[in-house]
Amino acid sequence: MNNPNLCSICGKPAAVRLNNPERRLCAEHFIKDAEERVFKAIDAAEMIREGDRVLVGLSGGKDSTALILILSEYVKTRPDVKLIAVTIDEGIAEYREDTIKAAERLVEHTGVEHGIISFTELFGDTLDRLVADRKNLACSICGVLRRRSLTEAARRFDADSIATGHNLDDEAQSVLMNMLRGDKPSLIQDSSLGYTGYFVPRIKPLAVLSEKEIVTYIMLKGFYTPLPECPYAVTALRMEARKIIGTLEERYPGTKLNIVRFRDGIRKHVPYSPKGTKGKLNTCKICGELTSGEICQVCRVLNRKQSDE
Amino acid sequence: MKIILPDRKTIEEEREPAVIKDILESLGINPASVIVAKNGNIVPDDVILENADELKIISFAHGG
Repeated sequence: MNNPNLCSICGKPAAVRLNNPERRLCAEHFIKDAEERVFKAIDAAEMIREGDRVLVGLSGGKDSTALILILSEYVKTRPDVKLIAVTIDEGIAEYREDTIKAAERLVEHTGVEHGIISFTELFGDTLDRLVADRKNLACSICGVLRRRSLTEAARRFDADSIATGHNLDDEAQSVLMNMLRGDKPSLIQDSSLGYTGYFVPRIKPLAVLSEKEIVTYIMLKGFYTPLPECPYAVTALRMEARKIIGTLEERYPGTKLNIVRFRDGIRKHVPYSPKGTKGKLNTCKICGELTSGEICQVCRVLNRKQSDE
Repeated sequence: MKIILPDRKTIEEEREPAVIKDILESLGINPASVIVAKNGNIVPDDVILENADELKIISFAHGG
């Protein structure tokens, strides 16, 4: 290191070195820098409109911890906006209990209204029991049920949008995974727009921060708690994508951001419609929710039959 | 030099001063996947670690 490790703004010892532009920042100025980048992204993309009620998916893990902390700062300048945090309790033994406690501490600190919705309440059983004989599919089944749970939460809390804690790493990995799978609809699908009259828009305010920046942020804010890893977290392709992009980022700083910008550039040129629908939606023959086919994904993963309802 | 690994195992050995990033790589750790604290303070990985220093390596490579 040729230069002393001092904050480019105040000269105190630096905690972080960032690129583009190259700068070193102390704890206080890094926190401010990260928050301002998120605020700027929210405003530039008009993620939150005047008077919006924003549902914040709060698992209690690192990303959603940063999300609720940063959004709580953001709404100090936007008193017209209301945040509501919701925690989905999937029913995963020896995992979710700890993160729910973390979520409860966060809402107590931020003063944000909080609700908990469980898979048992919505789907009749815990994830552990629902996937007992198909654990290899747990992640994808959980993803389908979590999305439905958030939609249900948005309905209950009359929310205008759903904010999730997806970070820059998640987004870059998803682009690569979609490419590797040849999944063009997923690559171009932009859920941030919602679908007027159908879907609640999903917003990802943290997509401008890397996973490392997010963990650094919550550590410096004093909210980092090592939590257990989800026992079902074994998405092989995502781990491969993480490794590839992590190595490239180390060699070519800015790779993650470039991947996401490339995807955004493509999306601007392709008209959006919900995945596979060509603009047409039906109601599920079993549960009545919106679907592109005849039976929605939730009913399919739960093996529901028409007589079940 | 005392190095606390992500799994909380500790390495204590005499070492020449070295850049943290080089130490991480010598341990087979990708610097992009960890946060490092020198003597209790988070620092960038291009900071030099002296023999009397303690390095804590925190891995965050799972869970959201």
